[in-house]
Amino acid sequence: MGDSAAGVTTRGRPSEIDFALIGHQESWRAAADVLAVLRGAQRTPLPDDEIKDLLPWIPPRAVCHVEAASIAGRTACGLYIESFIPPDRLEPAYVCENLARVRGAAAYAIEAGAKIVSLGGFSSILIEGNFDQLPERGDTVFTTGNTLTVALIVQGIRKMCALEGRDIESSTLLIVGATGDVGSGCARCLAPLVRHVLLNARNKERLHRLAAELQADGVDVEIATDLREFSAEADVVICAASLASPSLLLGRIAPNAIVCDAGYPKNLSPRAEMRGAKVFFGGLGQITGGMRFAPDFRGVLNRHPFPDVVHGCLLEGMALALERRFEAFSQGRGFITPERVEEIETIAARHGIYLAPLYNGDGPVERHSVICSSGHFDCAACA
Amino acid sequence: MNTPGGNIEPVISFGRSLMECGSASLNAPIWQDVLAQAITGELLAAMNYTSLSEICDDPAEMADALEHAEIERGHAARFAVEGRKIGVDAANNVGAKHWKRLRDAFLRCIAERDFIGCLIVQEIMLESFAVASYARVGRVAPGSLGKTFSTIAAEEEEHVDHAMAILRAERALDVQRFDDKVYRLHLDVMTTLAQMLAKECKDGHCEVCHSSCVKPALFDVSLSAAELRGASLRQYLKTLDMLGIPGEVTLTWVTQLPV
Repeated sequence: MGDSAAGVTTRGRPSEIDFALIGHQESWRAAADVLAVLRGAQRTPLPDDEIKDLLPWIPPRAVCHVEAASIAGRTACGLYIESFIPPDRLEPAYVCENLARVRGAAAYAIEAGAKIVSLGGFSSILIEGNFDQLPERGDTVFTTGNTLTVALIVQGIRKMCALEGRDIESSTLLIVGATGDVGSGCARCLAPLVRHVLLNARNKERLHRLAAELQADGVDVEIATDLREFSAEADVVICAASLASPSLLLGRIAPNAIVCDAGYPKNLSPRAEMRGAKVFFGGLGQITGGMRFAPDFRGVLNRHPFPDVVHGCLLEGMALALERRFEAFSQGRGFITPERVEEIETIAARHGIYLAPLYNGDGPVERHSVICSSGHFDCAACA
Repeated sequence: MNTPGGNIEPVISFGRSLMECGSASLNAPIWQDVLAQAITGELLAAMNYTSLSEICDDPAEMADALEHAEIERGHAARFAVEGRKIGVDAANNVGAKHWKRLRDAFLRCIAERDFIGCLIVQEIMLESFAVASYARVGRVAPGSLGKTFSTIAAEEEEHVDHAMAILRAERALDVQRFDDKVYRLHLDVMTTLAQMLAKECKDGHCEVCHSSCVKPALFDVSLSAAELRGASLRQYLKTLDMLGIPGEVTLTWVTQLPV
């Protein structure tokens, strides 16, 4: 593992592919970095215009091998499969093209013999309501990975509240993208814990359905398709909308609100003005047993300021592979319950997969973290 | 490995009706150069198959190679006819610098009596380029010109299918040896093809276009050099997938090509 792509002529695959991760890059910079690794350090990097010309033509395929290690001593071998969705084509206008790419990536994973496939970013958004659009699957199972994403968002909110000395029980929680699989899962987990819940999404009918479900459990819920219509200011916010680019302006929220940007691509617009808001990127976990790529894509496919940090949706497949539990844990939309979240948290923790250190675009948000010898912050395994 | 999943097309709409494209004769100088490249490629393929027939021990294989050579000559003739229909004489130059390098690469396989190497060069590499670029041209070229490009693209694709069975069987005998051979030939042939397919010809005239380089003018007929290159490389990757070479390996090969 870890060999340079430049020297590769033929690289044998592991005899068994436990998991496959289907993803795409959220920016042209990230896409350029991926191609630069493949091209090798000794070759001139491709100019930006060449990358934009070339990338849309690349059929979905594996980019590298991934090995995940559990603190329980197990390892799982997998493939990272890039769907090569161009970063500027995430808008609804390209949905058919992108679905075809995800289908192509899924077919590739099946052909490679992957036992479980996690769908990252837009891949899961495209498929979560359309599992019947996946190719004939054989023994391969697919998970959107959304349950672990929800678990990590909820853990992040709790941790941030603790760090900031906030009482979550007296909070007003706003969820943007509330009717999506991740948003509704967060609502089910957090609504019983807070004082008041504001649900925002584009689809009014789905909002009503979710509100009714929560109200039946005694939750105080308000819904709106327009963020300006809410009667109260939120002091805890989860942004889990499916946006093609970071373009969300939250408008009126409480000063010093805790804001979790859990989107991929990120939801919050760089122009968003949020006085004193404590923003962090949510839904990220750290695999403390370590992760290796061949070729070495460390920091390229997982562009985070900490090692071995991965989006929850992808980590779910890795956790299930380490558990040798090859099942479609997360499928469809709106089925994520607190019980399922707890179950996947337990599985993940058994293999050393925990909430990643919190950070945002400016860097880490935890000032008093401890780094273990492997570079992990507040490493539960070492502790 | 084939990667099904429907048509994955970059969303650039090049498809236009005949009316929108205007008449072929209006853009005749552009089609003249496009046809010249196609005729040159077909004649080179005919020469390659003829050379291949000379190293075949099996009479059936020899007959097959000669038949292919004849088919490729037929393609060249059909392209020439299309040129005359729009009033141009599409010349050819199999000795042009890039095409000569491709021919030389093939002849090295012939010199080694490497039947499999010959198939890899002709069927996997050169035909991928032909199938993809003819299909793209077929979409936008008006009338019978477009139809001819599309028809020949489909016929060339059948050649690839024919060779695929032989090559897959060969790969099954010794995967590592086979993949190493493909990579060696890739470095030789695809490097030249990548230079041919570059968006601009920076290293001088290609010696096939009748005056200046046709690439910048392709936009006038709703094509682009980048599109032809992208489609060709995609076809190549898919053909390598069908051979069974891991996609992560072939992706590395393609991304390392010169631009």
